[in-house]
Amino acid sequence: MFDFVEPLFNALPLVFELENLIGMVVGVTAGMIVGSLPGLTATLAIAVLIPLTFSLQPLVALGMMAGIYNGAMYGGAVPAILLKIPGTPPSIVTTFDGYPMGQQGRAAYALKIACWSSAIGGVISAISLMLFAPPLVKLTLLFGPAEYFWVAMFGLSSIAILLGKDPVKGIIAACLGLLFGTVGSDVVTGHQRLTWDFKYLIDGIDLLVILTGLYAIPPAIQMLEKAVLKGFTAASLKLNPEDSILNNLSSFIPVWLRGGIIGIIVGILPATGGSMAAFISYNETKRVSKEPQTFGEGNPLGVAAAECGNNADNAAAMIPALVLGVPGSGVAAVILAGLLVHGLQPGPSLFRDTPDIVYGFMWQMFFTSILLIAFGGQIAIRLFAQVMRLPQTLLAPMILCLTFVGIYSLGNNMFEVWLMFGFGLFGYVLNRLNFPLAPIVLGLILGGMAEHNLRLSLLLSQGDWGSLFQNRLSQILIVLTLTILSMPLLGMIRRKIKKQSTSER
Amino acid sequence: MSFSTMRNLMLLSLVMVGVMSTPVLAEEYPERPIEVIVAFGPGGGTDVAARTIEPFIEKYLDEDLVIMNKPGAGGEVGFSLLAASNPDGYTMGFINLPAMFAYSYARETQYSRESFAPIANLVYDPGIFAVREGSQITTLEELIEYGKNNPGALPIGTSGSVGSSEHLAILQVESKTGAKFNHVPFGSTSTLRTALLGGHVPVAAFNLSEAVEYQNEGAIIILGVMDSQRSDTAPNVPTFKEVGIDLISGSSRGLAFPADVPPEIVAKVSEAVAKAMVDPEYVAKAEQAGVPLSYMGPEEYGEFLKTTDEGLAEAWKNDPWVK
Repeated sequence: MFDFVEPLFNALPLVFELENLIGMVVGVTAGMIVGSLPGLTATLAIAVLIPLTFSLQPLVALGMMAGIYNGAMYGGAVPAILLKIPGTPPSIVTTFDGYPMGQQGRAAYALKIACWSSAIGGVISAISLMLFAPPLVKLTLLFGPAEYFWVAMFGLSSIAILLGKDPVKGIIAACLGLLFGTVGSDVVTGHQRLTWDFKYLIDGIDLLVILTGLYAIPPAIQMLEKAVLKGFTAASLKLNPEDSILNNLSSFIPVWLRGGIIGIIVGILPATGGSMAAFISYNETKRVSKEPQTFGEGNPLGVAAAECGNNADNAAAMIPALVLGVPGSGVAAVILAGLLVHGLQPGPSLFRDTPDIVYGFMWQMFFTSILLIAFGGQIAIRLFAQVMRLPQTLLAPMILCLTFVGIYSLGNNMFEVWLMFGFGLFGYVLNRLNFPLAPIVLGLILGGMAEHNLRLSLLLSQGDWGSLFQNRLSQILIVLTLTILSMPLLGMIRRKIKKQSTSER
Repeated sequence: MSFSTMRNLMLLSLVMVGVMSTPVLAEEYPERPIEVIVAFGPGGGTDVAARTIEPFIEKYLDEDLVIMNKPGAGGEVGFSLLAASNPDGYTMGFINLPAMFAYSYARETQYSRESFAPIANLVYDPGIFAVREGSQITTLEELIEYGKNNPGALPIGTSGSVGSSEHLAILQVESKTGAKFNHVPFGSTSTLRTALLGGHVPVAAFNLSEAVEYQNEGAIIILGVMDSQRSDTAPNVPTFKEVGIDLISGSSRGLAFPADVPPEIVAKVSEAVAKAMVDPEYVAKAEQAGVPLSYMGPEEYGEFLKTTDEGLAEAWKNDPWVK
């Protein structure tokens, strides 16, 4: 049971070799920069990095990748808080409360919370990777197509909580997401759906195209509309003295623990990513809160839940990747490719043949999370927050340029760039009509997952719908889904009863 | 001299210049960096393979290669770009068989076999059928027997979609033996493999290199390999041929120019690739990464393209997989 302890500590000295330390620091810094640029993701950065690491020692290369991974996942929070533009997909959730905080002049505090929460989520996740990697992998094997279908349904049902004040618009937005998710070639029949003979649509619309379009373009247009020539004053970016994380530690700790556990579980499940971890962590924190109405209005706990859940997904997503070769997220998939390039075949033999590298990588996930506080906390906040002092008329064209470069570099084609601009204009209209954007993204990610697994499950059972309800795990997931769906309903009934009892009195 | 004769003369002289200048061109080739189209995104299997061999081809060709990722439509976007590129020897690309040709049946593509001048094949990964450890079916014969007695009842998961090499292999096994299976396309190797390991799908069809490790660990049993001979990496696994099913199928990655690139240039690049593929450093890297190398020169690779294309045409005639 504890036979992994010895190799784990044998690998520790290697991690502290100068080369490795430099690799991690470079990775974290590069990751934060890449993550904070909308449209550029950790996946992209690591993919570009892999060929450059050929000549490096495997552990140095992996250290850089670990740094980029953790750094980028935090970096995404910076534009989310300052500009309401998520730098990476999961930081959509950070915009919910992070941006209002920034508007209230508490941007620096929000950034500090994001940094600490990311680091703590990352550390919790890295510890889970060290402790649970072999035993937890058995858990993923329990998930077949039917179970994944319910995982997706569970995720989709969380939209019910996200809907907020205007459920009709929220449901329309979710349906739009589902619709965008159907574009592309049908895996089961080979037919093309909604591709209109555009070759670039056959693989479906890239999530990043929609995400960048919906989230980066509308704010840029709005900035240009207002044509504000002045930026924020330096005074409004100062850290308020009463806002200290240490003073509010007692309220943060439960949020971090919850977010950490949710992130780990979501991370281990393949095909889900940090976005889902952040969403669920945020929802749960809001659900148990005594004052749920303050979420979305700049509640610091909202930022903490989102960032902690998101970064707790990181190392956990590497658990199935290292042991089974099944990546738990897109970034984990690219790191897996990086391992292969260095001649390391994932699987049980990886732990047996090259323990120094596997366990060294686990330490690197751990230490790069801690590095976030040193570099992200002190240097990056001071540096990136100055972005806010730029006049918005200057910032808008910069954002447009960056999204342009980011999306072009995805596939080296202009079609996706125009598509992104199209989604940008669409997003601008939706913004103006007060439609929520998050349900679109959730519908897009989970709709495809639900559909594919439903069909796989029905193909495997030759059309027997009962196969969806047979397993214990499916049943647990169904109960969870129904619980979440009935939540708004229960709330409504409770409010009615309360009203009645007060009117009777 | 009439106008038309003059025009003919001019045309002739242009052709002459063209013909005469070709060998000179080939001698000096390459004079500038060569673009390599990879029809998949960064980090994918083809991209990693391309970036692994890139420095070694550069070493023997004495010129830079510039990798351009052009993903889209399962590689079709990149293949089309390669087919339409200038045949001056400064654009080549990775092509993946049989996927590249299979697309032409499901939809109209802007290329055919004639659009390419094959340079060399690099990787050949034969297809396999595998079951989970502890499965009731442990040999190919038992699998076929089950498929005959319970037609269409046994699900076989594939790593691709409809029309993938694994799907076509199942169709061929069915037509050669009379057994019937239930094809379940998982769309990716990793999800298929997890479903197999977790017992959610009884049989899976994917590539040998992605299965060997799991057989060595005792997690899965490879029933058979779709190759002309047993593989060095899994010598205990019989070929389909050994049990009487004449089936050779797998996925391959190779390099090609657009058609009409002068044969001297093709020969020059092919030679550099051949040298790169026996470079001990490269061989060690490929072996470590579990990449099954299989070099074919321009002629052999051209023949391979032809037989793959014809095999697909026949399979389509027997049982069109997209209705």
